[in-house]
Amino acid sequence: MELLEVKNLRKSFGDLQVLKDISMNVGEGQVVSILGPSGSGKSTLLRCISMLETADGGSIVYCGKTGFTEKDGTAVYADKAELKEIKSYFSLVFQNFNLFPHYSVIKNITDAPIHVMKRSKDEVMKEAEVLLKKMGLADKGNYYPYQLSGGQQQRVAIARALAMKPKMLFFDEPTSALDPELTAEILKVLKELAAEKMTMLIVTHEIDFARSVSDHVVFMDGGVIVEQGKPQDVIDNPSNDRTRAFLKKLEQ
Amino acid sequence: MKNIFMRIAAAGLAAAAALTMLTACTAGSEEEERTTFSVGFDAEFPPYGYQDENGEYVGFDLSLAEEVCKRRGWELKKQPIDWNSKDMELKTGAIDCIWNGFTINGRENDYTWSTPYVDNSQVAIVRKDSGITELSDLSGKTVAVQTDSSALAAFEGDDATDENRALAESFKELQQVGDYNSAFLNLQSGAVDAVCMDIGVANYEIAARGDEFIMLDERISSEEYGVGFLRGNTELRDEVQETLIEMLDDGTFASIAEEWGLSDSVCLSADDTVTDTAKKEDVSFGKKLANISGRLVKGVGASLAIFLLTLIFSLPLGLLVAFGRMSKFKPLSALVKLYISIVRGTPLMLQLLVVFFGPNFLFGINTSASYRFYAVIIGFTLNYAAYFAEIYRSGIQAVPKGQYEACQILGYSKSQQFFRIVFPQMIKNIIPAIANEVITLVKDTSLAFAISYTEMFTLAKQVAASEATIMPLFIAGVFYYVFNFIVAFIMERIEKKLSYFR
Repeated sequence: MELLEVKNLRKSFGDLQVLKDISMNVGEGQVVSILGPSGSGKSTLLRCISMLETADGGSIVYCGKTGFTEKDGTAVYADKAELKEIKSYFSLVFQNFNLFPHYSVIKNITDAPIHVMKRSKDEVMKEAEVLLKKMGLADKGNYYPYQLSGGQQQRVAIARALAMKPKMLFFDEPTSALDPELTAEILKVLKELAAEKMTMLIVTHEIDFARSVSDHVVFMDGGVIVEQGKPQDVIDNPSNDRTRAFLKKLEQ
Repeated sequence: MKNIFMRIAAAGLAAAAALTMLTACTAGSEEEERTTFSVGFDAEFPPYGYQDENGEYVGFDLSLAEEVCKRRGWELKKQPIDWNSKDMELKTGAIDCIWNGFTINGRENDYTWSTPYVDNSQVAIVRKDSGITELSDLSGKTVAVQTDSSALAAFEGDDATDENRALAESFKELQQVGDYNSAFLNLQSGAVDAVCMDIGVANYEIAARGDEFIMLDERISSEEYGVGFLRGNTELRDEVQETLIEMLDDGTFASIAEEWGLSDSVCLSADDTVTDTAKKEDVSFGKKLANISGRLVKGVGASLAIFLLTLIFSLPLGLLVAFGRMSKFKPLSALVKLYISIVRGTPLMLQLLVVFFGPNFLFGINTSASYRFYAVIIGFTLNYAAYFAEIYRSGIQAVPKGQYEACQILGYSKSQQFFRIVFPQMIKNIIPAIANEVITLVKDTSLAFAISYTEMFTLAKQVAASEATIMPLFIAGVFYYVFNFIVAFIMERIEKKLSYFR
């Protein structure tokens, strides 16, 4: 079953068309990686899917529910109630974590479940402790974000996203702000999630990671999907010149 | 580097020393041969001394002084002064005399006087339609007098008659105002029911302001005007006195009096003799300090009330203004922007005047006496809300965009986003700027004097005027410093409390 169906997505900033006719799917339990050089539009694609940006045209269906479709050349979004439902299907982990600096780790994780989802505090706290343990941060619950390393902060951010119990998780270059050692911490967490069959869509620069964990790889350049398929095909035997050039550059 | 600083410092010291010597020299030479004669006067006291439509300082007293200077070969310096500071001006030598419809009665021992040249009486002016016809009608009414004026002395001074004291007791309130213009504005707007003042001034004011006001026939008191010199400065007094009598003899004095319509009140006579007063005996420092502090304490409450009420109203109002300023609804944000621009671009003192007198001028509403305090609070609140709004706005805009995106992804509502996430971070961002404003507010409370609200600084100036010392002002300074020290301490504690996150 497809949890995410993107069709003919378009997005411009002023005169600059950043996304030109993007179509891709993410199936349940799949891990999909989006690769591509800077400025290729991959982050904008993820932000359109996360609804942080408003699309110009095309359509996206989340878990069978239509987020928006194109009518008379513009994207028409679903009504408020439906959008709220759709937004509960996914969560996003940011490149810069975007933790709330004035909340402790545990409060960062539990605040939205308690006050947005209106769930019982005891239950949420118990789950949060399990999540922290899973992230290797069992003893950090009362710390404030500034007291943690970047890798630890990103793991809190992942725990915060998981606490909302999304059907799929989006990652926007989750390791770009981290040095290699801390990057490994995060990739380990992502691999564990993949093993648990969490549906994930990841924008990343980590080729090796994409190869080992992804079911499907999308390579973007210049606002279009240049090629997509299994990682063995796209990464190891790219058919497109631009993919080859990009991969070669990364090897150097 | 250090060397340069030392040199600059040394040069500065040398310059200061030279300047001190220079002033000392001029002061010394003045005793031998005087070249200038500096007259202190209240520039809002027609017809004795005021600013005419050409911006020139003119008046009966100034004309007399001019003539005296002409005959003595002195250069006249007309020095408008704040009436509350007249004694300090005189003491420091900034002025040579007070010549400004200056009442001798009750001040006989405070100055070295010329003989009286004007006999004046204190009268009451009321609105024509008020129905007040005699002094006893003023019972239960609000009556205005100028700060430290003869009218005030007639009611409350040491030499006030029992009759006048009883009359003052029967008033609802005896309101002190800074100048006659605001006294008449108060009278016109209904904030006061009567203004008491010198008859000469009263005649002038009624002529100038039309038939809206009338003078009661009954007199409150009679009094005499003289030229006041620093106690003990008989030498200068004798010179001026001599020339005045000379002018009286050749008729110049009478013609100047006629020119100013004061022929009825002048009383200069060669038969009067000057009296010399001994130096004032000194009251012990400690006793004086205790006395003055005790009198200032009454004003502390008023200053505190302005301070606290302004904060209570302007802090939340500022947030609303900030929202209006950041609103996507263009007309609203433009309107709010205009409001902030006007408030920040004009003096707070002017804003207070507009809030207090505006309702009467614009809509003809009669303002009650209690409105004075409300006007202070409204004026301060409107002013500070504008400043706070800009601080809030900067604090809100300093919260990173990522915080809003995280809220959006986590499904926070707009109000949850603001109150749970943005607001606490904004507070941390703006604490130093808010602390600055709060400290300024402590000092700004003194501006309430603009509409004659008696807070601590106004009281300090009044006490300074009556005691002829600047000690009350220093005590007031200490009060403001201590107050601000506490404010700074509290703000620092809040800042520290918020340092749990970064």
